[in-house]
Amino acid sequence: MLNKRILYIEDDADIGAWVKEDLSRRGYAVNWLTSGDRAAQYAEAADLVILDVMLPGLDGFTVGQRLKKTAPHLPILMLSARTAVDDKLQGLQFADDYLTKPFHPDELAARVEVLLRRYGSAASQALQLGHITVDIGGNLIIDSRSGEEIALTGKQLQIFMYLLKHANRILTKEQIYEAVWGEPYIEGDKTLNVHIRHLREKIELDPSVPVLIETIRGIGYRVKL
Amino acid sequence: MKFRNSLLFTYLLIVLLAILLLPILFPLLSIALNTVLLGDDEPNMYRNGVWLEQMWHQEARQLAGADDEAISRRLTELKEKYEQASVFWVDAQGKTRLALPKDLGIPDQWTPSYTIQFMKEHYDADPFTTVAFIGNSRDKGFMVFQVDRSVIQTSSEQLSEKRDHLFIVVALVILCLFLFISWIFIYRLRKRLLGLEVAMTSPTENGIPKSIEVNNPDEIGRLEQAFNAMIRQLELGRKREQEEEQLRRQLIANLSHDLRTPLTSIRSHAYSLKQENLSEQGMQSVELIDHKIGYLAELIDNLLSYTLLSAGKYPYRPEPTDMVRLLRTILAHWYPAFERKGFTVELELPESAVVCRVDPMWIERILDNLLQNVLRHARTGRYLSVRLEPEGGQAAIRLEDRGPGMNGKSLNQGAGIGLTIVQLMLKEMQLKWEVKSDCGGTRMAIAGLRLNEI
Repeated sequence: MLNKRILYIEDDADIGAWVKEDLSRRGYAVNWLTSGDRAAQYAEAADLVILDVMLPGLDGFTVGQRLKKTAPHLPILMLSARTAVDDKLQGLQFADDYLTKPFHPDELAARVEVLLRRYGSAASQALQLGHITVDIGGNLIIDSRSGEEIALTGKQLQIFMYLLKHANRILTKEQIYEAVWGEPYIEGDKTLNVHIRHLREKIELDPSVPVLIETIRGIGYRVKL
Repeated sequence: MKFRNSLLFTYLLIVLLAILLLPILFPLLSIALNTVLLGDDEPNMYRNGVWLEQMWHQEARQLAGADDEAISRRLTELKEKYEQASVFWVDAQGKTRLALPKDLGIPDQWTPSYTIQFMKEHYDADPFTTVAFIGNSRDKGFMVFQVDRSVIQTSSEQLSEKRDHLFIVVALVILCLFLFISWIFIYRLRKRLLGLEVAMTSPTENGIPKSIEVNNPDEIGRLEQAFNAMIRQLELGRKREQEEEQLRRQLIANLSHDLRTPLTSIRSHAYSLKQENLSEQGMQSVELIDHKIGYLAELIDNLLSYTLLSAGKYPYRPEPTDMVRLLRTILAHWYPAFERKGFTVELELPESAVVCRVDPMWIERILDNLLQNVLRHARTGRYLSVRLEPEGGQAAIRLEDRGPGMNGKSLNQGAGIGLTIVQLMLKEMQLKWEVKSDCGGTRMAIAGLRLNEI
């Protein structure tokens, strides 16, 4: 497998060196810059950008916004040492994810992985999930015991893929409905529940005890990888 | 300010004009009118009795030596000149020779007794009558000139009436002029004062009224200048305040950065340490370091939030917000953390949307603090329940845990600032905050969330 390339912009030498080493050890090719001035140049060759908010010269928000303009499909993860009250919203408006310092290295790695998967860079990968194999790029779901394809309806597939793209995260009913149907969720609507039930009947071994798609009572659903 | 430019000066001028000029004005006016009227009029033929008498006697004298015919001709001429008069003459024999007009009601032949009666009747009576002997001697007879007194009176009375009339009109005009001038004076004062009031009470978008244009250097002009100076001061103050706020925010951001950067460093190195072959005790120490770093970061965040909040620099922007969705999103975010600690999380939300007018950022911040608290201090209970309960026109968020309660020793470990922030924010949002805590757990409620009227 080709190493995923990460553009990492951080001015603190200590943290920068350490994160670069940690991510490299996890199998990523890390390009570390200490300022955002030449970020656009390197962005083309990157699959993901990790961006610190406080940078000398151009600050992280400006750099990030510029990058989003030139390369809208490049996921950006913001690292901030600022306080949450201050600029959480401003940072999240363009960034795909947001992590406050002092972040945990495992947390960073997990977020990077999720972001890469969401942006399809990990698409070629075939995912093994319980008894099924999922080919994300080809939108194929195969029962690995028999090798047969499990046929899903369009909405079922969309729901499942959305859950997979945001694996390990709890997605609320609102989030899923609005992402799949593209219209505002009306509280109390049972459509999603019905679709999930049908989806489970197809992919779960025992639909009454679902293991692939987990229900978080009152909140939403989650697919754990 | 020069006195000449002041309102006081203008006012005094008007008053002085009124006081000094009016008494002088009337006599002056009277004189002026007389000259104008008399100068303009033709001399009146019937202007008064004395004049007519003199005229008549002179005419009679001039007829000395004239024969009867000449006298009659002259009288006819005079009658033509004095149309409104009656003239006649009587010769020495007492015979009426000429009467113009003819029907004067006088006898053709005058007896001495009638003559005396005529003189008696007409002396100082109406019509005005003057009798003159013709020529220098008295043997030629006499001639009589009669005219209605009303003619004489009317002419002089007309003149005086006309004068009085004009006098009143001109006087009224002048009085009105004074009234008008004082009205203009007061009206302009009033208009400027009201304009000033409008300028003071209509602030622009930055909350400060606009400065106004100063046209007159008088008292109100000075007031306007003072007002403008005040506006400048306000604007300066506002600018300074904004700069200070900017500085404060910058300072807090920097402080946060400066504190968190080394913490990140420490955490990463602690992580490196964990990869080493450590004894169990060493491992525990590293875990503790990691835990404390998280706590410290949170404390920094709270401290800075508190600074912003207490300085009123964290604006509250309420908007219609679906509490069901908001709570679900927040809980989705927190669920994994509770899951890791083995909590049972129960979330009970109404089936339909509950829209309240709140700032979602604030609610999130409050719940973050409360949930963080539950996570840290109610670990032993392993239970969290979050409910949203609409009650009448309001809604309440209820949190319940089965920890040791707030009086337990867990509280002493720095829950303080997080809850203080919650209290501050709830007070600002005008929400009720209820806490019941015992050794079986803590029940908290945020009540009084007003439903948004649709």
